[in-house]
Amino acid sequence: MPLELDPTVVTVAAGAVLLGLTSGALGTFAVLRRQSLLGDVMSHAALPGVVGGYLVAGTRTLPAMLAGALVTGLAAAALAWTLHRRLRVKSEAALGAALGLGFALGVVLLSYVQRQPGAGSAGLETFLFGQAAATLRSDLVVLMVVAALCLGAVTIFFGELELATFDPTYARARGHSVELYDAALTGLLAVAVVIGLQLVGVVLMSALVVAPAVAARQFARSLRGMFWLAGGTGAACALTGALVSAASPGLATGPVVVLVASVVAGLALLVGPERGRSAEA
Amino acid sequence: MVTPGADLAPLVATDRLTVDYGEGPALRDVTLTVPGGVMGAVVGPNGAGKSTLLKSVLGLLTPRSGRALLLGDSPHRTRHRVGYVPQRSSVDWDFPADAQTVVTMGLYRGLGPFRRPGRRERERAMQALETVGMGHLAKRQIGRLSGGQQQRVFLARALVQDPELYLLDEPLAGVDAASEAAIIAVLRSERERGKTVLAVHHDLVSLGDYFDWVALVNVTLRAQGPTATTLSEEALADTYGGRVVLAARPDRPGVREEAAVAT
Repeated sequence: MPLELDPTVVTVAAGAVLLGLTSGALGTFAVLRRQSLLGDVMSHAALPGVVGGYLVAGTRTLPAMLAGALVTGLAAAALAWTLHRRLRVKSEAALGAALGLGFALGVVLLSYVQRQPGAGSAGLETFLFGQAAATLRSDLVVLMVVAALCLGAVTIFFGELELATFDPTYARARGHSVELYDAALTGLLAVAVVIGLQLVGVVLMSALVVAPAVAARQFARSLRGMFWLAGGTGAACALTGALVSAASPGLATGPVVVLVASVVAGLALLVGPERGRSAEA
Repeated sequence: MVTPGADLAPLVATDRLTVDYGEGPALRDVTLTVPGGVMGAVVGPNGAGKSTLLKSVLGLLTPRSGRALLLGDSPHRTRHRVGYVPQRSSVDWDFPADAQTVVTMGLYRGLGPFRRPGRRERERAMQALETVGMGHLAKRQIGRLSGGQQQRVFLARALVQDPELYLLDEPLAGVDAASEAAIIAVLRSERERGKTVLAVHHDLVSLGDYFDWVALVNVTLRAQGPTATTLSEEALADTYGGRVVLAARPDRPGVREEAAVAT
């Protein structure tokens, strides 16, 4: 079996597990706080940041591109927030406008960069639908640090995040800094989206955030249980997609990952004991 | 039994409080003084600003003018000591947690980061659940509880704080008879222990039975004081716009319908 020996496949698999674990686990909060669409806005609007990060760094450097993605993703979220809260645009229209603007900007930038001479720019378009094979050994360190920071932060402040998610009004009345936790969770959602871009791509990334959490909700009886179950589900889906795509040259990883995650979520909705069809009985 | 308002400093007070959401004032010029030791109700028609009053007192809304005092100090400094019970409909009950977990949330503030609620916290939550008659449902998912049981979980979460003041937003709305009786019994026993209760209430029929102090609110404060002397036909007509005729008499059949028309 080449799978056991090929270091490229090991790197790809390890990267996929890290991404799936982080995005899936953090998706718990996105789903419970009804911020799934916000995740979609952030992932599409991450594209100009990815290209911008590449332009600034001069080469294909993962930390620079992820930082750029984080900046433009959060900027789009802030734009949607401003349209909705300050200018009274309906929330889904505000989210749609921010998504469209961010993504259009990204595609224009991407076409511009690809017309420039230079070897490094080739492959940036894999950020559209993801390419597992693009994961480098050096990327793993970055992914590991980001995953450890995110999951560690959530574990440390778990009680506060739980209360701020379930009942923000009561939490505020009890003197918890709900605004701070709101901002932190939005930031973590942005990280959850951005970290998986290379593997899944900007177009489908939010599905990897949402689907594992939806599946986990069907079985979890506590927030902690849902958090880790969603993380495990995300890791499994990402790993499956990455291996299938690595074995079939030219097949984009994102759609495979999302198909796997959607099947898992669909099955969970049908058989999960906590909610959905079987819970109605 | 404590006489309402006897020699106790006000635990809740507002001074010419005006709150504005941007479409005309929700509350105007409200000067309220809730004496310590009462079982008090805030009553008024829908949209009269009852919940707004409670949230302003907790410092959750910023008044346009005037101010609120809670336990004799700024709400931001004292509100964590209040047993606040928000409206049941303000949260999504489809959240992965059992009843005991939600009650334990009343103790998170004392824990801080890194520390998880331990056996002591779980036991205190269990005791509070038993007090509201829900010990046997401690492990039930909150989404599978009835409305009344969910409301009792919220009450238990406030009880576990052992606060000196309870502020409750519509604790009896959409609640079954058994839960209503349990909630009132718990609040009465807390009052007997010297605690103060202030609840937004919507049912004029039960008002006189449950509460010994009342504030009538319709954007402005129409009347406040002991229920027996404050709840006159004139005061109610003034608060509800003249559509209620002595609704506070449970012995009169058909009164509940009149009250329903008014709200």
